[in-house]
Amino acid sequence: MLELRNVRKSFRGIVAVENVSFLARAGEVTGYLGPNGSGKSTTMKMITGLIEMTSGTILFEGEPIHRDLIAYKQRMGYVPEEPHLYAHLSGLEYLVMVGQLRNLPSTPTAERIDGLLRLLSLHGDRHVPISAYSKGMRQKVLLIAALLHNPELILLDEPFSGLDVSSALVLRSLIQELAARGKVVLFSSHELETVERVCSRIVILHHGRVVADDSIERLRTLMKLPTLEKIFSQLAVEQDTAMISREIADLIQA
Amino acid sequence: MTRLQFRVLYQQFLFRTVDLELLSASAQGDSVKLLGQLAALLAFLSLMIAMVGIAVGGGKLPTAQRLAMSWGMEHFLLSTTMLVVGLFAVLSWESMFPDRRDVLVLAPLPIHAATLFLAKVAAVATTLSLTVAAFHGFAGLIWPLVLHPPDSGWLGVIRSFAGYWITMLSAGTFVLCCLLCVQGLAALLPRQQFLRASSMLQLAAFCLLLGVYFLQPSMLTPEALTAPQNQWQLAWLPSYWFLGLFQILNGSPHSALNPLAWRAIVGLAIAVFGAGVAFVLSYLRTLRKIIEQPDITPGARGGPWLPRFGNSPITALVQFNIRTLVRSRQHRLILSFFWGLAFTVVILYIKTPLVQKTLLNAASTNPWRQVNAPLLVCSIVMMWFAVIGTRVVFAMPTELRANWIFRVTNLNSLSDYLKSVRRSLFSLAVVPVWMIWATVLLWLWPWQQAARHLIVLGLLGTILVEFCLHGFHKLPFTCSYLPGKANVYYLFFGYVTLAVPLLNRAAVLERDSLLSSYLYTLVLFALSIGAIGARWRTMTLAQSEGTELRFEELEAPAILQLGLYRD
Repeated sequence: MLELRNVRKSFRGIVAVENVSFLARAGEVTGYLGPNGSGKSTTMKMITGLIEMTSGTILFEGEPIHRDLIAYKQRMGYVPEEPHLYAHLSGLEYLVMVGQLRNLPSTPTAERIDGLLRLLSLHGDRHVPISAYSKGMRQKVLLIAALLHNPELILLDEPFSGLDVSSALVLRSLIQELAARGKVVLFSSHELETVERVCSRIVILHHGRVVADDSIERLRTLMKLPTLEKIFSQLAVEQDTAMISREIADLIQA
Repeated sequence: MTRLQFRVLYQQFLFRTVDLELLSASAQGDSVKLLGQLAALLAFLSLMIAMVGIAVGGGKLPTAQRLAMSWGMEHFLLSTTMLVVGLFAVLSWESMFPDRRDVLVLAPLPIHAATLFLAKVAAVATTLSLTVAAFHGFAGLIWPLVLHPPDSGWLGVIRSFAGYWITMLSAGTFVLCCLLCVQGLAALLPRQQFLRASSMLQLAAFCLLLGVYFLQPSMLTPEALTAPQNQWQLAWLPSYWFLGLFQILNGSPHSALNPLAWRAIVGLAIAVFGAGVAFVLSYLRTLRKIIEQPDITPGARGGPWLPRFGNSPITALVQFNIRTLVRSRQHRLILSFFWGLAFTVVILYIKTPLVQKTLLNAASTNPWRQVNAPLLVCSIVMMWFAVIGTRVVFAMPTELRANWIFRVTNLNSLSDYLKSVRRSLFSLAVVPVWMIWATVLLWLWPWQQAARHLIVLGLLGTILVEFCLHGFHKLPFTCSYLPGKANVYYLFFGYVTLAVPLLNRAAVLERDSLLSSYLYTLVLFALSIGAIGARWRTMTLAQSEGTELRFEELEAPAILQLGLYRD
């Protein structure tokens, strides 16, 4: 179980995340939603240990992650929002390097990489430099790198970015499968339809604060709204979208 | 609209002249600082040269000596200008012609190709002018006063000024246009082949510029310039052509230099025409090709095999370092600069009268075949440059934002990471130099002496590596880079200038020790103690409290400024 308690992060006095607390349980997919700039990726980076929080606590299996960050990182897999990879390496070289950095045994890891590359249709391009990969192919490399060590906690920040339809469908099923096998999955996305299908529980962030933390079903009942999109619009979208679109059209016509 | 587009594009192209990929994402805002540093360095050199001019100008020299001095100085100024402009052109290779980014960003916009073309040409011309202006800012004020023909009056001085600046700009333009021609011709190849050839050409141009600058023969007397055996060399040395041009523009033509001046004019015209054609072809033909053809051809086979270097994380890191250095054009170029300097220092050292005298006095008919100090110095100098150059290159990042993977998989101790850097330095610097010298020395010298020096060279390499690891608490290519840190390199060059004469003394000592077991044991003992001490110092520092792996050159401030100021 992943738990955030009153997590706060400020950059040079500007608060990005304020008093964020929520739980992500094993066996379920927790959706982490919010508009642009709401602090989702900042929270994700704090959970990975990439950036330090200003205050608060993050616990995994009851232990603060910073108590033994190395042991925690061994149990965590992360797909970042942007596909930043070493473009001069081939996909295979990159994945082998990640396996070695994680100190995984070489032969089983090579077999696992080979299998994952085949299943994600990257095997034919495994020797091609990443610089020649499409966005979707890079996303697949990130996904394999995150799952290579069979992590207990999986952090997915916009994992569907750039994926084609069939790969997106595979990933959608995979996320549910991983949760069903007892992993803690925290999944951040702007694709509300996918979140609605995949997640059992959601946390909505707005202006760096949690404005909703419950199961989708319960939120629907409580807010008397039929879809996640409506819930999200009510909680995290302050603007009148129809009016803004009219204003934009007016402005470009003027 | 076109004028505004031209202005905006011109500014963009001008500030992208230097390859900013070398700088970290966080340091990219410092591109102006970096360019300022380069300009300041050139201006400093200019000031030094100007001061020599003041010193020389004040003295009264006989005509023959004055002629030799003025030709020598003019040639030095011309060849240095050509070297500086050439190096600048090699470093800004990518920005001379439109690249993929330009095309992808600008092609959807309603911009005429002619506007793009003119903005690029204007930016390149400005770069050239600024480089020449920075290098001659001070020298160009003093030297025309020194070099004007005697008794030519004020008109002669004004003519000298005009001649000086026209010649320097022409020499710079010639080198720049030649490089543009080469690049333009290569751009006619399919895109992938062009990219491959490009890195080779860049390296070749770099070596050619340095090689010609340091190794060109001195032919600065009327006799040498007219000697029939020298004519074919003069035909291939453009710095002498522009020397002739300067003399004509200066109002002091010499019959020995007049044919060279014509060669300069013809050469310049051909180079400018060629560069113009290259630009036009690039805009007519290459722009579309850049979008249509991918940058890198898909490969069908696996990459080259690399051995293991220890446990898995250490192997991963060393292999990453080797692959990055081999595949990154910018890093290779900077490393080749250090290797080029090493060869230059070695050749200049061998050509010094002291070394020539030592070799002439040698007992053997072939002085290289016996144990000699110059060869010892050469091997140590090459080791020095290779290790320091590799360490400098390690500090420059590649794909900085991709370093998150090392942060997320930061599962090992700092001493493990240090081991990986140490093994990388050994694999990429110490072992190659050691093997080159093992081949040379075992071929030239009796094997006992050769083996003895190779042990010493290995120990020196180890000490150098440990010296380079001092305070290097980061992974190669993954930490942000600050241009201001380049001051270290100036210090380094200062050390080299001082160290080479000292090294000569040390090499004499080592030469004697190679022939005496007692002395050799002492030398070996001292070096071993040095290597162990350096290793202990590095490890102690790495294990000290609070030391951790760094990914940012600039540490986060302990106290944050709120930025509340009163106007």
